[in-house]
Amino acid sequence: MRSFFAASTLAILVATSSLLGNQSCQAADEYDYDLVHSSVSFKARHLDISWIHGRFNEVSGKFVIDRDQPAKSTFALTIKADSVDTANAARDKHLRQPDYFDTKQYPTIEFKSTSVKPIDGGFEVTGDFTMHGTTREIVLVLMGGEEHVIKGKKIVAFSTELAVKRSDYGFDPKAIGAIGDTAMIMIDCEGVSP
Amino acid sequence: MPDPFLYLRATGAAAIVSAIVALAMLRRGADGDRRANVASALAISFGLIAGYYVLSLHLTWPPANGLDRFLTWILPAVVAIELVASIPRVPTWATWLLRYCLAALLPRVLLHGSVYLSGSDYGWERSQAFWVLAISSGLLLIVWGFLTQLSRRSPGVSVPISLCLAIQCAGVTIMMAGYLKGGSTAFPLLTVIGVTIGVAAFRRRRASADSVDGRDKVALPAIIGIAVVGLFGLLFIGRFFGEISTATALTILFAPLLGWVTELSWLRNRNPWTVGMLRIVIVAVPLLIILLQAKRDFDREMAPLISHASSACPLPTGDDT
Repeated sequence: MRSFFAASTLAILVATSSLLGNQSCQAADEYDYDLVHSSVSFKARHLDISWIHGRFNEVSGKFVIDRDQPAKSTFALTIKADSVDTANAARDKHLRQPDYFDTKQYPTIEFKSTSVKPIDGGFEVTGDFTMHGTTREIVLVLMGGEEHVIKGKKIVAFSTELAVKRSDYGFDPKAIGAIGDTAMIMIDCEGVSP
Repeated sequence: MPDPFLYLRATGAAAIVSAIVALAMLRRGADGDRRANVASALAISFGLIAGYYVLSLHLTWPPANGLDRFLTWILPAVVAIELVASIPRVPTWATWLLRYCLAALLPRVLLHGSVYLSGSDYGWERSQAFWVLAISSGLLLIVWGFLTQLSRRSPGVSVPISLCLAIQCAGVTIMMAGYLKGGSTAFPLLTVIGVTIGVAAFRRRRASADSVDGRDKVALPAIIGIAVVGLFGLLFIGRFFGEISTATALTILFAPLLGWVTELSWLRNRNPWTVGMLRIVIVAVPLLIILLQAKRDFDREMAPLISHASSACPLPTGDDT
């Protein structure tokens, strides 16, 4: 009888922990950056009177969103600097050179979250932003996060904007002239479950 | 966009400092070649420091990119090697061993941390990296060796001036291809080499007028070594980090070797000034063609960005694209 009781208790414990474990796994959803339905674009002041727009065409990333424990969520984004596109091939070629992005030395622009905090309508994500070989901590306010299921695939979307000063990331001060120091980066991305 | 006044100030500072150092150290004129080599290497070093300081190159430490490594590691290394070569007790083979080592390391150092050697999908494969580095080192040694030999066979200012022309061509071509900072470093370099060889030749000529042996030719391997490594480094950076083509880089690199044409027997025995001028003209021709091509490419690609500054392109006055 005693052994039956012990075995039953053990079985309940195992089942409970297993169930809790499954719940935890289900709560953290993984998403891959959906290149087709996303964009990373930027704009910078020209002569302080207008904006020049551009985008990066090759981006990858991964999000892990834990709805129950948002602090365990993670966000990572990698932009291939070589894919800069301002709708002018000559300017793009110039931007890839060492006076600007120096894409042969610094091929990627990266963001990796270090802490995540839920806010009304999204997440406040603190992380390391690396551009031009310099890493600085930034805070992204990701708005969105509502999940949709289409054809069995989970889809989640976020939007954010951030302002970065090129001078903070080691760009040559001489290359900051008619183009303003501050650039706005706009990220609109969808993540899709693998 | 280039800032001509800044380049002018940097060039002026480099010229003044290198001239002062060279004049101070070569004041006796009839000094031996080893002492003249030391003076040349130091004049070039101090001149470069002054020129690059005025140029405000915004270098990082530890060096983060190819240009930083070129200016803070490679150029000081070649100056150090040429100073060691000037020590009387150091045998020639040891000097060349040091030069071989520098040539072998130079491409690897300049490409350190770059996408080429990263092993990533868009980098080189291991074997490709090996061959590119090996061939690059070999090319540097070929040019270095042949120009050193040429300056020994036919001492004078024509070989260093040929190298100055090539360095200037490299700098302007790199700038016109869109890498302003990299190209601008050529101006102080060619200035200090030109000024130093000019002072050395002037002092040697003055000394020869006063002396009996009449030795008035300068053959300074230190100047040749620094100029060749400087030229190679600029072209390497312009090719692998900037946008100049392999053909352009090789043409500029090998152009000074055309000076060997004047070693043909029916040219060699002519008036030294004639031979020197001919050597410079022969070297200048391919460099001129390269500059015309670079200007054509610039007019086609970059100039529209400048002329339509009012549209979405940044380059009205300069520091932008």
